[in-house]
Amino acid sequence: MVRIKKTKKNILKSPLRKSKKLGALKAGVTQKTEPRKDFIGAQETTVGTAKFSHPEVSRMPRIFPQELPSQYGVDKMVLMVRDPWWLYSYWELKNSTVERLKSELKDEFYRAKRILRVYDVTNIIFNGANANRFFDIQIHEFANNWYIDAGSPGRSWCVDLGLQLSDGRFITILRSNVVQTPLDGPSWITDEEWMIPDDMFARLYGMGFGQGKSSPVGKDWRKRIISSPGIASMASPVKKPQKKGFWLRVDCELIVYGASEPDAKVTVQGKPINLRPDGTFTLRFALPDGKQVIPVKAVSADNAEDRVITPIVTRETR
Amino acid sequence: MHKGYLSLVLHGHLPYVRHPEHEDFLEEDWLYEAITETYVPLILVFERLVNDKVNFRITMTLSPTLISMLSDALLQERYLKHINRLIELAHREIERTRWQPDFHNLALMYLSEFSKARDTFLRYNRNLVNAFKNFQDLGNLEIITCGATHGYFPLMDVHRESVRAQVRVAVSHYESVFGRKPRGIWLPECGYYPGQDEILKEAGIRYFISDSHGVLHGTPRPKYGVFAPVYCKGTGVACFARDLESSKQVWSSIEGYPGDYNYREFYRDIGFDLEYDYIKPYIHPDGVRINTGIKYYRITGSGNNKEAYIPHLAQKKAAEQAGNFMFNRQKQMEYLNDFMQKKPIIISPYDAELFGHWWYEGPMWIEFLIRKIAFDQDEIRLITPSEYLNEFPRNQVITPSMSSWGWKGYSEMWLQGSNDWIYRHLHVASEKMTELAKGYPQVNGLLRRALNQALRELLLAQSSDWAFILGTGTHTEYAMRRTKDHILRFNRLYEEIKSNTVDQDWLADIEYKDNIFPGIDYQAHQ
Repeated sequence: MVRIKKTKKNILKSPLRKSKKLGALKAGVTQKTEPRKDFIGAQETTVGTAKFSHPEVSRMPRIFPQELPSQYGVDKMVLMVRDPWWLYSYWELKNSTVERLKSELKDEFYRAKRILRVYDVTNIIFNGANANRFFDIQIHEFANNWYIDAGSPGRSWCVDLGLQLSDGRFITILRSNVVQTPLDGPSWITDEEWMIPDDMFARLYGMGFGQGKSSPVGKDWRKRIISSPGIASMASPVKKPQKKGFWLRVDCELIVYGASEPDAKVTVQGKPINLRPDGTFTLRFALPDGKQVIPVKAVSADNAEDRVITPIVTRETR
Repeated sequence: MHKGYLSLVLHGHLPYVRHPEHEDFLEEDWLYEAITETYVPLILVFERLVNDKVNFRITMTLSPTLISMLSDALLQERYLKHINRLIELAHREIERTRWQPDFHNLALMYLSEFSKARDTFLRYNRNLVNAFKNFQDLGNLEIITCGATHGYFPLMDVHRESVRAQVRVAVSHYESVFGRKPRGIWLPECGYYPGQDEILKEAGIRYFISDSHGVLHGTPRPKYGVFAPVYCKGTGVACFARDLESSKQVWSSIEGYPGDYNYREFYRDIGFDLEYDYIKPYIHPDGVRINTGIKYYRITGSGNNKEAYIPHLAQKKAAEQAGNFMFNRQKQMEYLNDFMQKKPIIISPYDAELFGHWWYEGPMWIEFLIRKIAFDQDEIRLITPSEYLNEFPRNQVITPSMSSWGWKGYSEMWLQGSNDWIYRHLHVASEKMTELAKGYPQVNGLLRRALNQALRELLLAQSSDWAFILGTGTHTEYAMRRTKDHILRFNRLYEEIKSNTVDQDWLADIEYKDNIFPGIDYQAHQ
């Protein structure tokens, strides 16, 4: 018997569709090229990250909260927009829904393919049968989420999770909400009352993207933001401090310490210092190369007596 | 005669990080660092400008979570402890660097800055929101609101009730703090999804800020590009779009100002550089090295060799770059004047924490820029979006395009393999919250407290910051924990409310831990 079991692995690792775009992104994880390409959101991301300072090594493990439920006992399918081309859907099926399908379909259930049917529902009220067009993605039985390459911006979409039976029939199990992908360039619709000649708009458009005053409409935007290999190869959008090779750093500090009468006035190199209640003192100095002459002078409270001791320290770094 | 307007928009936000259950909590440093390095320096800039009677206009988001933290007595107490420790460290550094004049002068500079931060903090009765409110009341600052906990709206669209709760809770919180309604909103991460302006309209909000392509890819084509606001079709809420040219000058990692070699190096901090026993009292109690805020080096070059920071060279550079920024805006205006029938507006939005925290010289740069605009020219003027709408109420009507200012311009930063799993939990919680709000239209006492707390937990779980940190893939432990904690608390509250078995002690405990928005009304989630 096949049971729907949601493992942690299933939830955390989304079955990404093999595609050129995501393949490149994944491959980029191991690339070591310095991410110098500028792209939309890069600095926003860097600054955002800088807000959240963390120690460089992980600290003591803290108590972890219990795990989140792996399911909520609902039949639910949600569709979201990632960008003009890509959608993301996740879903959950009640065990009872699966059991019902099994008892209805008997052996057919096990022979059927799991399908995501992606409907283009632009400008219609979708009733299940009137989509402008649709395409199918075969998925594996345990998948509970999917990134969908919808491929055309500025359209409305709806997705069914269903079974394709061996005779070709499609049975819908879950239906998502409807979403709309944004355009990936300027609209071709113009407003009569606010007309603007194309060449002027092109100039404004380029300016708005900081591309100077003559960039052709749309082209630069697409090139720069989405299809640039420089972007796809970014392992992480976060700028990290430059990786050092093997390295060594050495520095020296000097500790000068001593004691006098607790009420004495003590100066080091002419500058007064504070004594602890017991008359002791400790000073710590960064020690640069060269010679340091360090006269330590104590004067008694009644100014009747004084003592001077002068350590001389030389640091030489080779 | 001026040719156009510049609107500087600073987005101030940090997620709600407050852990009364721990004596010392590392992530609270996000707030303390931002206070010392960004909020106080900006307040001091504004104070100097007001004292010198310089006319200026700045638009600034103070996110509801940031306001709540700045106004919180426990965090105020802890900040004071934090800044006092830093002052002590600066004193020790002054002594330690006696034989290194370059560093010694910098140690003196840090002592002066930290002391000013403490003085300023105390002068405003420990609550820096008072400072920003003063500048708003004087007419120099327009404070706009944000999503209650900075939830990323486009990925919440399937349950708009949650978007509505984010907006409503933010607006009523703003009113309770500033005594009037907010005129504008910073959509968290500039995330806009068509139709969500409806919710802004209901809340009485006049405008929001989007990224460039939100307007440039809107339908129909925007006649003036990003250089004039548009009204959203159907609601009339105004949308102002970011000008990427001015943004790039500041943001860009290649040609951007903050990368200048004379500027202070962010990544070299004495918390990491100095001898362990010496620095130990000033880093994390676990003994883990962290940034202290004392940094002695300038960027110097692209290599690892760093030289000492020289303040007056950095200052000169900041002045020069402020002049360059102004010059470029003037050129833009001249060009735009040729084919616009009204005065253009250039919207330059930045993360507030860029200034001072990331870009140490940023506040100085802003001050130079404002003074230059006020005294050295008359082609551009500073304006706030709402003032612009008053002067130019007639604007084109379009439907802006879904967009964000995040990585690649859409939702991928918050929706990728490392964080997409959160939405199945968040969305179910949203659905349940709607069910609760409908199912319990009017209750009092314990049940009401539980319902209000349920909404707090849901909102806290929705902060885009958690998805962002998960998305960056490093140091994700805390973000993971916060996401889980709030969802689990929400789930338990839901069960206890439904079965009328609210555990009073446990409720009191999470009310104490997650105490944001004391005046919250769960009915906001509709």
